[in-house]
Amino acid sequence: MTARKGAPGWPASARRRPLAPGRGEGPDGASERLIAELALGLRPVRRLPPPGLLALLWLALAGLVIGLAIALHGLRPDLAAAMAEPGERAQFLASLATGVAAALAAAMLARPDRSGRWGLLPLAPLGLWLGSLGWGCLADLGRLGPAAWSLGPSWGCLRFILALGAPLTAAMLLLLRHAGPVRPGPVLLLGGLAAAALCSAGLSLIHHLDAMLMVLVWHGAAVAALVALGWALGRPLLARPG
Amino acid sequence: MAEAGEWESWMTAAQAGDARAYDALLRAALPLLRNTARRRIRDPAEAEDAVQDALLTIHQLRHAYDPARPIRPWLVAICERRAIDRLRRSGRRQGREIPLGDAGETLAAPLANQGEARVAAAELRAAVAELPPAQRTALGLAKLEDLPLAEASARSGMSVGALKVATHRAVRALRRRLAARPGTGSGE
Repeated sequence: MTARKGAPGWPASARRRPLAPGRGEGPDGASERLIAELALGLRPVRRLPPPGLLALLWLALAGLVIGLAIALHGLRPDLAAAMAEPGERAQFLASLATGVAAALAAAMLARPDRSGRWGLLPLAPLGLWLGSLGWGCLADLGRLGPAAWSLGPSWGCLRFILALGAPLTAAMLLLLRHAGPVRPGPVLLLGGLAAAALCSAGLSLIHHLDAMLMVLVWHGAAVAALVALGWALGRPLLARPG
Repeated sequence: MAEAGEWESWMTAAQAGDARAYDALLRAALPLLRNTARRRIRDPAEAEDAVQDALLTIHQLRHAYDPARPIRPWLVAICERRAIDRLRRSGRRQGREIPLGDAGETLAAPLANQGEARVAAAELRAAVAELPPAQRTALGLAKLEDLPLAEASARSGMSVGALKVATHRAVRALRRRLAARPGTGSGE
């Protein structure tokens, strides 16, 4: 080891090495030289907090942002009545659980040595959420008849979820940018899902849609758009593989 | 065999900036990384490249290692990731490339083949020109002008770490490209 304090140069062995093929293992192979170069002038690094804490940090940020949105728009007037209905309550709780589970799963998958099975964690709440929406649609059909299928545009929902969800997804990917060289794909997907699910939960506290089908279509579209956006634009936010 | 927890304590010290512990850890881990890469990649040179990719990723992610957890699974997972990436890339490359046969010597007279050297120099220049700008700058400052890293960093605006990585990649890209040329790489 040729580390000299105060002399940040290349180790003598790595200097002017020939370009001719001479790689391979051995006491002075290319990998050994690389190790010497990487160790030379090593700087201390700030250790990342554990993944659970990172997830919690992001959830707190998401809570803050959605809380601000609620403060701006006000809670919907019929909130107490809506939450008394088992269907709506289940839908709200399931979307909240999906967001929390996806955030934790993303933080876990961002570490190389954590099991890939963490990715399955949000599947159960996601299934419950989609199931409760589907069940709501059927219930509407029984209650309202064919009127339940009338689908109007609700750009407001889409805009709300995207406007809140996009910065939250970006914040998540910045917090988890160390996932880039390891498992970028699943972390991008789960990050987008976590943000979208929480924004959808937040929106159902603010805004009222008559029919569950509207919720399913517009919230679903927003979630899908956000997940796709995270997938397409998220890569620059994640660190590149070394 | 290293005593239990020795690698972990080396990594913890490396996170605090201990270069000797870091060097010791990476050297001790090299056989593990090589085994991991070779389980996936048959070609020894390609496997060794994957090991070097893994070393760079380990360096990049050293702040993400949690000292409370065993380090071996962490190292193996990173190496596996890089080996799979390399297999995918080489699979794509093989789909696009056609191997060239050996180009025969043009003339028997020894003087006639002096052009070889000039052709080689031109090829090297062309290969350097094709490198991404950051790698070309890093190579030029750190290797050709032989500047100390701190000075190269000040001139290029790149961090010392980025310079190291870019130079390493540039040299490897050149080596691969020149070795892939028919007629070289066999000690001629």
